[in-house]
Amino acid sequence: MLKRRTLIALTLAALPLLAHAQDIWITKNMSAKFSIDLTELRASAGGGALFVQTLQNDLVRSGWFSIARPATFTVRGSAAAGAGMSAACELLDNSRNRALLNKAYNGTAAETRRLAHQAADDIVFAATGKKGMNGARLLLAGRMGGGKEIFLCDADGGNLRQITHDNSISLAPQWAPNGELFVYTSFRRNNFQEINLVDLRTNQRTVIAAYPGIDMTGGVSPDGGSVLMTLSKDGNPDIYVQGLRGGAPIRLTKSIHAGQASPCWSPDGNAIAYVSDHSGQPQLYLISRGGGAGKLLTSRGSQNVAPDWGGEGIAYCSRRGGRYVVCVINPATREDRQISPGDCDYEDPSWAPDGRHIFCTRTSGYRSTICMLDTMGDAPLALPLGNGDWTSPACMR
Amino acid sequence: MTAKTWIMAALVVSVAVTFGTGCKRTKVKPGSGLGQNSELLNGTGGTGLDGNGLPGRPGFDGALVNGQFPTVFFDFDSAQVKEGERAKVAQVAEYLKANAGATVVLSGHTDERGSQEYNTSLGENRALAVREALTQDGVDAARMQTRSMGEEQPKNPGHDEAAWSQNRRVEFQVLGSK
Repeated sequence: MLKRRTLIALTLAALPLLAHAQDIWITKNMSAKFSIDLTELRASAGGGALFVQTLQNDLVRSGWFSIARPATFTVRGSAAAGAGMSAACELLDNSRNRALLNKAYNGTAAETRRLAHQAADDIVFAATGKKGMNGARLLLAGRMGGGKEIFLCDADGGNLRQITHDNSISLAPQWAPNGELFVYTSFRRNNFQEINLVDLRTNQRTVIAAYPGIDMTGGVSPDGGSVLMTLSKDGNPDIYVQGLRGGAPIRLTKSIHAGQASPCWSPDGNAIAYVSDHSGQPQLYLISRGGGAGKLLTSRGSQNVAPDWGGEGIAYCSRRGGRYVVCVINPATREDRQISPGDCDYEDPSWAPDGRHIFCTRTSGYRSTICMLDTMGDAPLALPLGNGDWTSPACMR
Repeated sequence: MTAKTWIMAALVVSVAVTFGTGCKRTKVKPGSGLGQNSELLNGTGGTGLDGNGLPGRPGFDGALVNGQFPTVFFDFDSAQVKEGERAKVAQVAEYLKANAGATVVLSGHTDERGSQEYNTSLGENRALAVREALTQDGVDAARMQTRSMGEEQPKNPGHDEAAWSQNRRVEFQVLGSK
């Protein structure tokens, strides 16, 4: 692989018209990269090295960079651990000989990784103009004995922390836009479902829906005021909307003898995508925020489920050729693209805030892990979460 | 349960996780457990499009007895009570009509294929289909509660059609004796 990369890089270097061409790696299996040099970022022992190593991993994970020297970009500065963590990063564009970023990152020693994630996102933005994803956090469901609990981790899988300890089944976590509140479905009382709202700042939770039948979480609205839910209290699993902190649910779909599920909001909050099986098999449908008759969106695949609507389209899971694959469909043009490879099952997609990557569940040999897909072509990356079965990733945006 | 009981329970589980299974997951920091702000008690029942809404949950909390009646099985991706399974429902209807004090929880399940959220809806539709059949057999809908476990509690942990066919099911849990 390295040989081939070098060869292509040399070939490109021979093309004088392409700016930075010698620094862009193009291979059959990889997206284009900018080269970046971190050797001028001096690290003290311990915390400083952790900062630099985390930053380097983050820049590679962002998909935009490969580490090299000489390079298009250089990060200059220092990372020193004393009483706390103190780092300074300057990003230089070597071809234009100018600084694109010059910023200090200070915090406690425990915040070293978070500060490095922040620096990585700043560098991604300064170099590419694109939002980064390394500062995002993921909610997950993890199997514990016979049940499932909700966990929280960083976008690189680090800092894994268990949130619920209910010795029950906890499912379908969904962030509110502020990244401090989330909702999930719990079976903790008598194995009946209820929707809980958790405030991570105070560790408090509130039951916001416990209606007879099912109470499944859907997406929280972009303004943070409302939550979508699937309830069956009126005799059929349909889509409802309710205030995030409670109130009376309003029914948005009205079907008989059909199952609805997985409602999510469009980024502007004006439309909702969801799953319905009223045609016989689960497919994606669209309604306006006020509800009404669903408009069929998907046609390929024998099952289309689990939509997550981001700025770059609706990521969803499709059953094709005997596998579950993650696809992205443009809701306006219906242009549809498969993102995950076909080597095993990929489900539960959730957009990262960079609009480029998608977190999802990857199941192989009946074990589920969380991985990150790249819509620009890089290979899927598994999150190092250790042993266990991990599902339902929800990425903060 | 009161808020205090929940906090206690969270602490106990938290300690168990720290010193028990949690040791294997070295990267997991034990959380402090969640406090409870408020409890919304069992929600009120629905009304439904056709007056067919579900009754509220009170009356169904308590020891439920499993396995008194045979399980009803379903085809893949279907919530239709098959002709061959109809007699099982009729048997439960007869029992409920003979025991006016008894109530029943219908628990719908699916196999592992498909999304967990969709399977929750599918499992619920299976329970609702059995509820409708019981209603046709003369049982008052107010005596029935539905629940969906989706794909979370397979009867058979296998990963082939033989296992899946046992997992696509509705189980009866009857509360109240003769």
